[in-house]
Amino acid sequence: MQIALPRGRMLEDALELLRGAIPTLSVKENRELIHSSGEHEILLAKPADVPVYVEEGADVGITGKDVVREKSPDVFIPLSLPFGGCRVSVACLKGEIKPPEEMKGFRVATEYPAITEEYFRSLDVRVDVIVVDGSTELAPRAGIADAIVDVVQTGNTLKANGLEEAATIMNSSALLLVNRIAQKTKFDQVNKLIYSIREVIGNGA
Amino acid sequence: MNGNWVNRSEKLSDLGRVLRRNFELWNYREVLLPSIEGYDEALDKGTKFTDGGDFYLVKPDITSQILTKLNPGKSYKLFYISEVLDGKTDGNWQFGAEYIGGDERWMIIEIITAIITGLESLGIRDFFIDIGSRAVWESVTSDLSVEEDVFNALYHRSFDMIDDLPIDDKKKNEIWELFNYRDKTCEYERLNGILEILDDDRLYADFGTVRGMSYYEDLTFEIYSPEVGSPLGGGGEYSFHDEGACGFAFNLDNLVENFPGPEERPREEISLNSSGKLKRAKEQVEAGNAIEVI
Repeated sequence: MQIALPRGRMLEDALELLRGAIPTLSVKENRELIHSSGEHEILLAKPADVPVYVEEGADVGITGKDVVREKSPDVFIPLSLPFGGCRVSVACLKGEIKPPEEMKGFRVATEYPAITEEYFRSLDVRVDVIVVDGSTELAPRAGIADAIVDVVQTGNTLKANGLEEAATIMNSSALLLVNRIAQKTKFDQVNKLIYSIREVIGNGA
Repeated sequence: MNGNWVNRSEKLSDLGRVLRRNFELWNYREVLLPSIEGYDEALDKGTKFTDGGDFYLVKPDITSQILTKLNPGKSYKLFYISEVLDGKTDGNWQFGAEYIGGDERWMIIEIITAIITGLESLGIRDFFIDIGSRAVWESVTSDLSVEEDVFNALYHRSFDMIDDLPIDDKKKNEIWELFNYRDKTCEYERLNGILEILDDDRLYADFGTVRGMSYYEDLTFEIYSPEVGSPLGGGGEYSFHDEGACGFAFNLDNLVENFPGPEERPREEISLNSSGKLKRAKEQVEAGNAIEVI
């Protein structure tokens, strides 16, 4: 099977979970982005690209609920996984904080334009969404945005950049994704993996 | 102009030409649809916009668009080629067919057979069609207050959603068995009868197959190939003013990945440097022979 995993903070947990479900799985510690392990091929992708890989042909993948909601891929999502916990929040510079309902006309910088637009639309608050690719916390300090929507784990990065959370939009954790066609053409293999992962999770992974 | 775009357009056009011919042989008539419709609750998908206080939809779901234009009480066999928008600006090209007001049992059989001949005429033989049943799911969930949640869980194939349902474990297991049921035959007599008549190894009863459109009623199906990571298409049964109907659409952008391309036909090279050559070229084209002017 071809398995797409997210590089970065979730990778170790994802590998540990998979090693529990597929005991023969081994991934070398080097900078290669594709690893072969027996009948499996591991693709290491940016977390935001994992849904695209799975939608377009990788058999299964693991990434955060935040990027799945942002990308809305046409994939199966059989399981939530017990790691990768974080939240997507609205934040402003300390001292300039307002409830999101009062952010009409704000320029909001984010890597999550779909989630941001959906959130403010649900509040009936019109904002200008500015799409940035990383280091979102810079935008208010540089004066190009009045607020940001970004992933928050501990809140330390926000604090270090003089920002404060105004509201939580959603809580996120890792999800297991399955390609719709692989679920049919590799029915037994995919189901075996899902049941093994469920067992690992049940045993307290 | 981007050369890859021209090549891809040519391939999509070839797909359309072969499928058009296939469905014409099955006596389906092509319909041409406007790109923009006045907003109507009966129309699905499409991209909304407003102009002068009126609301419109660009490129809505074609089945719902066709149904707003037909007279009830008549029988129709129609096909179309069109782009459909996702509610924003992304679109995909579809080839679809609708059979409306025919015999309830035979419509889906004819449509699936026409799909098979269509794929084979494209040179695609490595495909499967999985057929699911809404009626079977409704019979399992009718006594539950969570029918919609079950369909959501089914659509995402989500263990979590099923685990979270406020129902007993016996019922959850029953739902899981149905989720994972995929075989050549099944206990649902109607579907089994259809599979027997179609008699093709590439067809499966699969109760994990569901389609997203709200108008589908009992049987829905999905067409896919191990060679392509996304579904080639799908369809199902619906009703139109109490008449039975069945339709489907190929996603041409996915199908093109599986399409080996048309066979090159011989082309006579003619240099148009005299009226005699021009006459020759004209005669060849009138006789249905391909030429290349050099």
